[in-house]
Amino acid sequence: MSSNFFQLVRNEQTKLYSQLATWIMLGILVVVVLGFALITRTADNFTTDYDEATWKQELQDQNESLAEIDQADTQILINNYRIENDLMPDGMTAWDFLYDSNMLTSVLSLLTIIVAGGIIANEYRWGTIKLLLIRPATRTKIFFAKYTSVLLFALTALIVLFIFSWLFGMLLFGLGGDGSVLQVKDGKVVEVSVWTRIAQDYGLQLVKLVVWATFAFMISAALRNGALAIGTAIFLMFAGSSIVLFIYDKPFAKYVLFSNLDLTQFTTGMKLVEDLTLTFAVVTIIVYYLIFLVIGWVLFTKRDVAGN
Amino acid sequence: MAEPAMQLIGLKKQIGSKLIVKGLDFDIQPGEVFGFLGPNGAGKTTTIRMMVGLIRISEGDVRIQGKSIKSDFKGAIRHVGAIVENPELYGFMSGYKNLLVFSRMIPGITRDRIDEVVKLVGLEKSISQKVKRYSLGMRQRLGIAQALLHRPSILILDEPTNGLDPSGIREIRHYIRKLAEEENVAVIVSSHLLSEMELMCDRIGILKNGELISIQEVHSTDKDVPEEMVKIDCSAAQLENAKQLLQEKFGIAAVDNNNQLLFPISRDQMPPIIKALAVADIEMYAVAVERKTLEDKFLHVIGENVIE
Ligand SMILES: Nc1ncnc2c1ncn2[C@@H]1O[C@H](COP(=O)(O)OP(=O)(O)O)[C@@H](O)[C@H]1O
Ligand SMILES: [Mg+2]
Repeated sequence: MSSNFFQLVRNEQTKLYSQLATWIMLGILVVVVLGFALITRTADNFTTDYDEATWKQELQDQNESLAEIDQADTQILINNYRIENDLMPDGMTAWDFLYDSNMLTSVLSLLTIIVAGGIIANEYRWGTIKLLLIRPATRTKIFFAKYTSVLLFALTALIVLFIFSWLFGMLLFGLGGDGSVLQVKDGKVVEVSVWTRIAQDYGLQLVKLVVWATFAFMISAALRNGALAIGTAIFLMFAGSSIVLFIYDKPFAKYVLFSNLDLTQFTTGMKLVEDLTLTFAVVTIIVYYLIFLVIGWVLFTKRDVAGN
Repeated sequence: MAEPAMQLIGLKKQIGSKLIVKGLDFDIQPGEVFGFLGPNGAGKTTTIRMMVGLIRISEGDVRIQGKSIKSDFKGAIRHVGAIVENPELYGFMSGYKNLLVFSRMIPGITRDRIDEVVKLVGLEKSISQKVKRYSLGMRQRLGIAQALLHRPSILILDEPTNGLDPSGIREIRHYIRKLAEEENVAVIVSSHLLSEMELMCDRIGILKNGELISIQEVHSTDKDVPEEMVKIDCSAAQLENAKQLLQEKFGIAAVDNNNQLLFPISRDQMPPIIKALAVADIEMYAVAVERKTLEDKFLHVIGENVIE
């Protein structure tokens, strides 16, 4: 039973990685990481290296100019903390670059949506759906095996993103430090470990990725049209936050998926819709997510597989 | 009699308000090659899609080895291997990888079995080539190979000779006969060409507008039914006279077809008939006694040319 499911997932992975397009997509991801690393390296204000003898003075100067703009800038607290505890900043390191790469998860989302949008629709386009569905495996199992395969692809691409960000970061910026950073929490400076920071930076982005990939998967399963699935998912992902601008003052605004999906609004405090709370947002996202999955599942298992 | 391999029970399919398959009832026996003959649009593919559970059955049922495809899909489908319409496989994978993927969907298929099936359809040389480089004939053979992997007791092939050259058709015919005779597989083949069906089938059912008009044995074992067909070419004006004479003197119900009188009879009964016609001054241009083709048989049974 479960070994059967495992075989189905394995088959989906075999098919996915037998396609040249999949490798091209992963290649593009690597190229994007490299480009991002080179741009970061050449933008020299990021890469100031501090001198053993003068760094305390440099931080003092930095504090003064920061204070002119904003007295409450948290960077001032962090700089003071460094001076008091004799912690010289490392400058840009591979770890910092790895954190910054979380911006590239939008590329990751794009690739995952492409995979999710095609994985069922392609079988219809190729005609192979007729061979796939006449085996002793239920349509439900095939549906979830394909969905699992999409998530596995996202995970694989994420690992590729990590490895290459770290690798290029190391080559261009050097390792330096253990990857932990100083952050201000409730007015106090605390040290945050490397893994906590990664989970923070990437975690919130991945929520978006999973939701839009699931949306594309639903359209793919329900309408059997890959281009439509990919197109609408990408459009909604990018247009989503702009759409909120038009509806944020309407009474229904808080029930709209886009208003809730950007969870960083709760860490920065800049909420898109006034009376949103983190709990409400999380519950709303889960409800939408489940609706997407159920619609896709019902239509995939119930609809006739008739001629085109 | 052994339990039928497949039973169709009052099988109907309605799409929208249109009844496409109008209630089919027949059994297919183990080791039998059953031909499903009918013009394009007769409902052959629709019936086959219902047999393998690709589309829902509007009314009635299909039982495979006694198991209902509706209520016990997994139990029923494990006995079936099929190609529905074109043999569409994954073009970006090798023939072998295609078979490997399908073999994982059913427990108990070994690598040895894959090799065995490859050999059976004679694809040893090209099995590691990508399927997109296969000719239609090779694809058809690979399609048959995937259908046979799990040693099904029923093989369903929808228009397997479509687009094949005469040698390809001969080859398919050869596999089909071999499977039925040596492995006792029940084979269901559909086609819109009578001449092809005649050479490979044991029985042929004619489908027209979703209805089964007649089922005929191809090689009749019934000694009372004459195996020969007489064609008499006579003047058009006397056609009716001749018909009447045959009916009155010999009790023969002849059919007229393009100014020819057609009736089944055995060779040794002919001299008195020719004599009687000549005596009655019927002008005959040609008298031919031919081995009855299936077409003649159907013509006689149905009374008109139903096949396109
Ligand atoms: N999904 C569908 N929706 C509406 N009509 C259909 C559908 N599929 C088939 N038909 C109609 O059903 C009839 C039988 O089609 P089909 O089973 O493909 O015939 P055959 O295989 O004998 O050529 C045709 O008239 C076709 O137009
Ligand atoms: Mg057809």
